[in-house]
Amino acid sequence: MPRKRVALALPMREIYRLPAMRIIETPELRHFREDCRSWLADNVPRNPRPKDGTEMRDFDLGWQALQHKGGWAGVSWPKEYGGRGLSVLEQMIWHEEYARAGGPPAGTMFVALSHAGPTLIVQGTDEHKARHLPAILEGRENWCQGFSEPGAGSDLASLKCKAEVDGDALVVNGTKIWTSYGHLARWQELLVRTGGGELPRHKGLTWAICDMQAPGIEVRPIRAMSGYYQFSQVFYDNVRIPLSDVVGGVNEGWRVAMTTLGFERGTGTIVHQIELANTVEQLIAWARDNSARVDEVQMASLAQLKLAVMALRSLTAASVSRGMHEEVPGAEGNIVALYYGELTRRVNAAAFDIVGAEALARGGQHDFPLHYLESFKWAIGGGTSEVRRNAIGERVLGLPRGPRAV
Amino acid sequence: MILDLIPDDEQQLIEDSLRGFLRDRLPVARLREANAHGGAAEQALWEDLAGLGLFGLGVSDDKGGLGYGFAEEALVARALGAHLVSPSVLAQVLAPHYAEDDGLREALISGEARAAFADGNGHAIDAGWAEQLLVLSGGAAVLADTASAGLGDSVDGLDETVELRALGKRPEAGHAASRIGLMLAAYLTGIAQTAREMAVEYAKEREQFNQPIGGFQAIKHMCADMAVRAATADAQVFYAAVSGDAAPSPVGEVAAARLLANEAAIENARANIQIHGGMGFTAECDAHLLLKRAHLIAALGADRAGWRAQVLDARIL
Repeated sequence: MPRKRVALALPMREIYRLPAMRIIETPELRHFREDCRSWLADNVPRNPRPKDGTEMRDFDLGWQALQHKGGWAGVSWPKEYGGRGLSVLEQMIWHEEYARAGGPPAGTMFVALSHAGPTLIVQGTDEHKARHLPAILEGRENWCQGFSEPGAGSDLASLKCKAEVDGDALVVNGTKIWTSYGHLARWQELLVRTGGGELPRHKGLTWAICDMQAPGIEVRPIRAMSGYYQFSQVFYDNVRIPLSDVVGGVNEGWRVAMTTLGFERGTGTIVHQIELANTVEQLIAWARDNSARVDEVQMASLAQLKLAVMALRSLTAASVSRGMHEEVPGAEGNIVALYYGELTRRVNAAAFDIVGAEALARGGQHDFPLHYLESFKWAIGGGTSEVRRNAIGERVLGLPRGPRAV
Repeated sequence: MILDLIPDDEQQLIEDSLRGFLRDRLPVARLREANAHGGAAEQALWEDLAGLGLFGLGVSDDKGGLGYGFAEEALVARALGAHLVSPSVLAQVLAPHYAEDDGLREALISGEARAAFADGNGHAIDAGWAEQLLVLSGGAAVLADTASAGLGDSVDGLDETVELRALGKRPEAGHAASRIGLMLAAYLTGIAQTAREMAVEYAKEREQFNQPIGGFQAIKHMCADMAVRAATADAQVFYAAVSGDAAPSPVGEVAAARLLANEAAIENARANIQIHGGMGFTAECDAHLLLKRAHLIAALGADRAGWRAQVLDARIL
């Protein structure tokens, strides 16, 4: 008998329990991928997505409805609420094929599909789930997020928008800002202060389902640097929310919100990542076709971007792998989010440098200026790069926490 | 392609056993003493290292190895890097793949015949005990008799903890060196990881202005960037290792791993020195050891222009 496995006292391979570091490939998954691919090839909208307003929202809702009709909405959402009830693997395959097929951005459906829905699945009541999950998947309702305030951005826990319990309702007064597509949304995930000064500041928050058509809500759209109305400020004047629409319990909102942000920082950006990879490949192809106009330094910088795109893909694969073994995403998702945000800015800025003056014209097949202007939001929204570095330093590496208000 | 990049129990056990051994027997601090340099500390433990089953770990069962894959080899290579283990140990892990006859392969796996790395354009590293040199040049590798390579006298190098000897003759390179490139990348991610750990530990302990310096964002963000670089290089190394030949562009994946790991190791080693301040600039602090080893391994078989071209050509969509 050779010395095999003796010195390390290794278990025999036959007793594998957990999945090993491996390629996950089964006939079922292959089949699933082929199904995704062929449905997407026939159904991805060919008409351009409107860039603003209710036309854009109706496009997004219509596309969602079409996906639902085809049986592709909510791949990993529970079956009883209209999803397919499949695993994160199928979800990932769907995202990959979606991006490859050039599917449109989720846009005004993003919060519903990537934040609100997953949060309700984990923390909502049966009634919440029955009311909202099918409606989201069928493209009947979209959501926005009411977290940030004029005085509470990076320091989210300092938020002041107040809600008092009055009988069987929360009564909300205050304002929220940077609410993406708030002026176009039907529902909102709303984080409000319910606790008084006696509670530590992040213990006095409540996460509620807010009807954007409730009396007392006023929405003021805000024009983004791209020229489009992408977000809004929302004002609440004695807005009544039934207590039954509180998710996770009164004063439990911070915990609920952190779960939501966890989803955002995990794998929610796979589609965007593949789009980014597409952009880099297009730039490389352009540079090769126009080699007389591209110098060595620019070629080297394209290689750096391609390298970073590969790194991001691998980092995401590692994050998805952790997701197969852990229920709720951890703080490591900040690493993916930070890398993605910074890389998006680099790629879109490089397009100008490499494509040159042509890239300055707006419109056209590749709207470089629009993408460039849009790219800034990825290092700001949902947590700036700086806040993400804080989170990595404190929550991943265990460094001392920075200044906190009492 | 969907990959699971989390080690299973068995893989974790391989890594933990090796790391436990290295922590006890080959801590980085050993290199403060010159008598541990040049691979001397490792050569003194050679039988233990062979007994751990490291040599030929990835060689198939029917050829006398343990039959593990790229992933297990990469876990081992990363642990060796984290402890700045003499590159000769990694050379010995990999050399059996390149042995052309059974007798030599067996002798390498048992540890009887010892191997060391050499760069075809440069030097042999820690080859004092080696009868075989694993020579790397231009993306290819060959195993050659040390005697035939005509080693010169030892020369001073940037990394004084290894012994460098000039190659008198450059052997003809034979096989594709993708596996070696990937394992060098894994070794470098180990360095990047150690640099990050050392910096974070120091940032928690060292106090200025009445608080640990790690509480200041200037330091915290440097540490966060170190974590990002280490995690990124690590993810790419294991992506390449696990996807292996099934990836659409295996060579491009390894090239990416090499470029990312080179950068992660060198940049993290630099940042670690900066975070250690005045201490970081001294020979007493281990920070400089990481930097020097990172440069040594980053330069081994390096072909940056070739790697960049392979990355540009890699199919990833």
